[in-house]
Parts: sequence; C-alpha cells; structure tokens
Amino acid sequence: MQRALIGGLLTGSLGGLLGSFAVLRQLSFFSDALGHSALLGITLGLLLGINPTLVLIPFAVIFALLINQLVQRSRLPADALLNIVYSTSLAFAVVALSLVETYRGGIQQLLFGDILGIAWPDLVVIAVLLLGALVYLALSLRAQVLLTLNDDLAGAFGVRANWHRLAFIILLAVVVAVSIKAVGVLLISAFVVIPACAGRLLSRRFPVYMLISGTLGGGCALLGLLVSGLTNLPSGPCVVIVQFAGFVLALLVSQLRYWSAASAVPAGTRTPGAAQAARE
Amino acid sequence: MSSSTATPVLAVQGLTVQRDGLLAVDAVSFQLARETDTALVGPNGAGKSTLVAALLGLLPRQAGTVLLMGHALGPAGQLPRSVRAQIAYLPQSLALQGRFPLSVAEFVGFGFDPPGLRLPWAGGQRRHGAVQRALERTGCRDLGERLLSELSGGQLKRVLLAFCVVRPRQLLVLDEAQAGLDAPSGEQFHQLLLELRRQEGWTVLQVSHDLEMVRRTCDQVLCLNRRLRCSGAPDHALSPARLAELYGPNVVPYRHEHNSGVRRG
Repeated sequence: MQRALIGGLLTGSLGGLLGSFAVLRQLSFFSDALGHSALLGITLGLLLGINPTLVLIPFAVIFALLINQLVQRSRLPADALLNIVYSTSLAFAVVALSLVETYRGGIQQLLFGDILGIAWPDLVVIAVLLLGALVYLALSLRAQVLLTLNDDLAGAFGVRANWHRLAFIILLAVVVAVSIKAVGVLLISAFVVIPACAGRLLSRRFPVYMLISGTLGGGCALLGLLVSGLTNLPSGPCVVIVQFAGFVLALLVSQLRYWSAASAVPAGTRTPGAAQAARE
Repeated sequence: MSSSTATPVLAVQGLTVQRDGLLAVDAVSFQLARETDTALVGPNGAGKSTLVAALLGLLPRQAGTVLLMGHALGPAGQLPRSVRAQIAYLPQSLALQGRFPLSVAEFVGFGFDPPGLRLPWAGGQRRHGAVQRALERTGCRDLGERLLSELSGGQLKRVLLAFCVVRPRQLLVLDEAQAGLDAPSGEQFHQLLLELRRQEGWTVLQVSHDLEMVRRTCDQVLCLNRRLRCSGAPDHALSPARLAELYGPNVVPYRHEHNSGVRRG
C-alpha cells in the first residue's frame, strides 16, 4: 500500500503538471489517443514475449511522433484524426490480445490500472520523470507559454517552437506510458485533463496554475487511493471520481468568486470585465 | 553619419520562399533604413505573411540573403541572441480560447527577459519595474492583474505593444496588427504605435490592408504580389494606376474622413 500511495502521488502530480500545458494546447484528446494506443504496445510486447513495460515507453514515443506528423501533414481536423488513431489502435489491440493465450495481468488491470502492482523500480522511474519535467518546464516556462499563445510570436523571440513542441509531446508520451500501470488505459487522460481544468478555473497566474494542477493531481490520487483501500473498490476509478469531485469544487469556487465580484460592482456601472476588475 | 547608423536594420536580397510546395515569394529585395516606417501591402494570398515569417527565420528560404542589423540570418533562422533581443513581432491574434491563466503583467514580463532558457523568478525586481513602466506608457496601468483572456480586442493590442516596449528594441514587425479592431480602436492603436515609435526609435515593418493609414503614416511602401511589384514613397507606390496593377482594375482608393487629424508632419 505504501508503494501504491507514493506511486499515486507521483503519477497524479506528473499528470497534473503536464496537463496544465496539454489542456491549453488542446492536447487533451492526444493523451487519450496515446493511452488507447498503449494497449496495442502492451499487446505487442506480450506477443513478442518481451516485458510489456519495456516495450511501452519506446512504443508510446514513436506512436506520439507519428500522430504528431499525421496531424501536421494530413490537413484534417486533429480531433477526427485522433479518433481514427485511437479507435483503430484499440481494435488492433483487442484482436491481438485474443491471440495471446494467457496473460497473467488480465484485461481488467490493463484497462483500469493496478496501482498495487507498482514496484520500487517503477517509482524511481516516475520520480526521475517528475523531477525532469519540473526542471524542463521551469527553465522553459516562457518558451512554453509563448508558443502556446502563438507559434510565430515565440519563434520571433528566439524560441525554437518545433523543438519545444516535440520535447513536450515526447515527455507527455513517456508520462502516459509509465502511468498506464497505475491508472489504466481508459482513465489515463483523466489524470492529465481533470486537475489541469480545475487549476485553470482557480488560477490567475501561470506558475500558480501549474502548482495547483500538480498539487490537485497528486492530492486527488492520494485521497482516491485511500478511499479505494478503505472501500475495496478499484483504485483507478476511485482516483478519477475524487478528481471529478475536486473539479466540481473548483467550478463552485470560481462561480462564487465571480458572483461576489459581480455583486460588488454597482448595477449601473457594469461593463464586460467589470466583475474581474472588481475582484482585483 | 556613423557606419552603425548607415547599416540598414533589415536588408533583403533575392529572397525566394516556397510554402506548401508553391512559390509564395519570388526574388524579393528591399531595405529598411533606421527609424523608418514601412508598409507591406498586397492582395490576400500575395505572400505578405510568408515574407514576414521568412524574414524572422520562421520559414526556410529557397534562395536569397537576409541581413538583420548587419547579421546574416542562418538557413534555419539562426541569429545571435543579442540581435534576436532587438526584434519584436506583433501577431494578428493569440490563442486565448476560454480562460487562459496568465496575467497581463506576467505576459509583458516575458517580453523583458532576453531569449534563452531561464528560471521564471530570475530578474524579479528589474523585470517588475520595467513591466510597470511599459504598462504605464501604453495606457495599460490598470490592466496588470487582469487575465490576458479577459481583455477586449483594443486592450489586447495595447498589451502587445507593452510587450514590445518593455525592453529596448530596434525592429518591430506587425502582421495586420489592426485586424479585428473597429475604426476608433484601430486609430487609437495606430496613434500609440506612432508615439512609441518616435520615442523608442523603432524601425517598423507592418503588413496592412488599410491603404489610407499607410498613405498617412508610412515612409515607404512595398507592394507585393509574390514578386515586389513596386516600392517607394506612399504617393508614388499607391497611385491609382499602381493599385489597379496590384489589386486589379476594380479597386478604388478612398480616404477616411474621421482620421484627418493624425497626418504626421
């Protein structure tokens, strides 16, 4: 249980941290597609007789780079392309899984994660990743924000936009790959999207937004695992339900702030943006 | 005149750029002298934004040379950091869908730091002072704590100018910066741009469709339709005959009466 709690804290924080940029760059669906494709990676590992964990990281990275190229070159809407990619990879994975005679892990663990299956080496990998992501995002914060706002604005300012975009996608792919064991294929995108959306509702400064997203991700994972342990319910879904509760709370807090700010502005002087100005 | 003053801020020679496999800019040559205001005009699809992107090193070029402040732009857009720090670019718009958790002061602060990787809290006090001055000069003093995504179109354009003025620069490139603004907001933005240009000694290159504004305020006009069709002073480059050549025979130049008081002397 100790390993599970540490694993949940680390993967949750990592998901929230990267999610803070992923949702702003409209990559939420991208993490979903990566999660589903991971099932294909695991199945390939099983078919080839290689430890699926070893196959998963390179598979996710290559898959992410291919999706990125496809989105950039095909000139089709990204959401439609990602839908094609994730449903097709899921279909291939299910067909391939039917060829695997015995899989000790079981499909349930693949789909919804098995946080209790996290070993100490997994924790070391996730901790190193979290540290690496923190250092990279802190050093490149300005570059990341500017290229999220406008590629050309960032490029004119000397930001190597393509390089940073690629680095972020690779980082996201690796994080999805290492978190699959704990979270499962179906719920991985929730770890990336929900804490970041909650953080987005609560923050007015970018570093605070990243901090809230990461903290909510880690905190909700910890709480969800404790609930799971106490109730004997599956861990991944418990964490996601707690994350959703956190999101609803953030939504309420942000609405309360808005209403109280709006009521502080005299009725005759209300203009667009006046509520925000009053709040400050 | 010293040699550094005589060196053009931007010198382009035989620039050729392909985009999506099509020739978008063909053998274009021109220069921008220091502290001048140049407009790049032409019909939609003429290659104006492509030219600007290639000048900034954002797109690869097939042929030609680009010298920025005397430094050659590398094939992959390489420039010394000290030169990059002298350039500012104003895009048409920012991707601000929904609530974007970035305050105006934070955004302007990003313009203060020189290019390169650095920790976000480095240079805090100096940056804070520079941001406050930039916000003051652009009439955005009260907007510092607002979210970028909460601003109106006119406010956002002024904040973009604050991003440019937060540190000394030489070259300002605007890609249809007035797009999406109503006439009074557009005029207000342009007045502010002219004032800051005079104070800062900026050299300006702006893509524009507002030919009357170009006629009133710019020193030089570049008429582009894949090739440079003509260039020179506004009265020369924007004559009815040249406009007809550039845009087709049905284009009629007109004047905005409400702008009569802003001609530069």
